[in-house]
Amino acid sequence: MVITMEWTLVFGRFYGIDSFVELLTVIVCFVISFYSIRVYKLIKDKNYKFFSIAFLLLGISFLFKIFSNITFFNKFQVHEANFVLTIISHFRFVELINFFSFTFYKIFHIIGFLLLFLTLTKNEDKEKTWLFIYLSVIVVLFSIYFNFVFHLTLVFILIYLALYFYENYRKRENINSFLVFISFLIILTSHLFFIFSDVSNLFYFTGEVFLLIGFLCLLTNQVKLKRETKVLRRNK
Amino acid sequence: MKAKRTKLEIIRDMLNILQRNRKVKITHLIYKANLSNNSIKPYLDDLLKNGLVEQYAEDDQKLFRITMKGNEFLMEFSKIKVFSESFGL
Repeated sequence: MVITMEWTLVFGRFYGIDSFVELLTVIVCFVISFYSIRVYKLIKDKNYKFFSIAFLLLGISFLFKIFSNITFFNKFQVHEANFVLTIISHFRFVELINFFSFTFYKIFHIIGFLLLFLTLTKNEDKEKTWLFIYLSVIVVLFSIYFNFVFHLTLVFILIYLALYFYENYRKRENINSFLVFISFLIILTSHLFFIFSDVSNLFYFTGEVFLLIGFLCLLTNQVKLKRETKVLRRNK
Repeated sequence: MKAKRTKLEIIRDMLNILQRNRKVKITHLIYKANLSNNSIKPYLDDLLKNGLVEQYAEDDQKLFRITMKGNEFLMEFSKIKVFSESFGL
């Protein structure tokens, strides 16, 4: 009889692919937030400040999501001639870290998208804003125990955002605004899959793939922006 | 018909005028930037408040000039415009 015991650290589901996707989204969010705050410092337009804060919150939320993906457990195995007994024990403190980081992920994510929505729709009605804040607190409280409520709420916010970006694309008719519209449409689709992530891992994986594509579109937009302005400056 | 200028474009036009001319009077700015007496005020107030433009006096005349920050804005303008248009800001 052989007895083995090992500590295992897992970075997320699907060999940590989900954490990798989220790390990329953190970078994209921070790049957009950083550029927006630079514009704010130049022209002191509050829209850019709130836009920057919204993407900063989204970036931080994805950092919490990465923390919530990390699992640390103890694998105890007994090997006998014709059987193997495996006992896996999770640590209480790791479970607590997972729970709190996942809760913070939800809080920051909802506030981030809500702030983005309020900034873009240029809502200056203070009563409406307080109503939104109150409703989002209720949603966050429900989301802690019911995952689908969180994703369903995001689907509704993202429908409005996608519609807003579609209108913006119709007005501008350029590739940059199209990329932003498409990226938000894809992020919306990812949350549609996440609603069913508790049912099957396949939905979670498909949602992560859509999330990756969505944020890659946003990253492409930022890269294009940098290239286009270089060309514009050279042609001046 | 030419499309209405956005706030960003009006600021760019005003700064371009100030960059090309060393001493600019408000009447000159109104005329060159194609604005009215009333409409120029909020833009100029914003520019002064944000430190993109500074006001100074010479021979009892109020004059305006572009600052370093204003020049920096003009260099960044095309990027800011593409960024704000893509997100509809």
